[in-house]
Amino acid sequence: MDAVTYPDEKVIAFVQDFYIPLQIPFDAKPLSSDFNIKWTPTLITLGSDKREHHRTVGFLDPDAFIASSLLGIGKYHFDNDQYAEALTFFEKIISEQSQSDSVAEALFLRGVSLYKNSGDPKPLKEAYETLSSQFPNSEWTKRAYPYRLL
Amino acid sequence: MTNEIVWEKNMDSAIARARTQKLPVLLFFHNPG
Repeated sequence: MDAVTYPDEKVIAFVQDFYIPLQIPFDAKPLSSDFNIKWTPTLITLGSDKREHHRTVGFLDPDAFIASSLLGIGKYHFDNDQYAEALTFFEKIISEQSQSDSVAEALFLRGVSLYKNSGDPKPLKEAYETLSSQFPNSEWTKRAYPYRLL
Repeated sequence: MTNEIVWEKNMDSAIARARTQKLPVLLFFHNPG
């Protein structure tokens, strides 16, 4: 991460705009125990109440880092009931990071956020239809399976 | 914009900044060795 991802200009700008970055050695007690750290790199999106919203373990290249971080920040807003804000981050993954591994989860969470924001269940069904057509083998398609009946 | 990520090294100061700036913390556990 230090050699490839963090020196990347897009990553620097992204972190500066959307995060407070905090670097901790993997064996620093008590934090490594508090967060149950078993391997590095571990990246966690954390709220100011120290609640965890998203975690990845292992190397991410710059594009994967940005896509995963967009998902993490979207989940941070989602978990805080800020659905409109969450949607902007899920939409960014879908439109700007369409090749990333985070797209299927973003499609699922976009459907849920739209439903939570409006009370209209149609976006849930649309999420399933998009997932089943674009990601037929994704775990997120399986999780959305019941929404086909809405 | 700086040309590198300026990492906080202390949880309490990162949390205080997160609260003030209404941003999440990116907590990076690394292996300094």
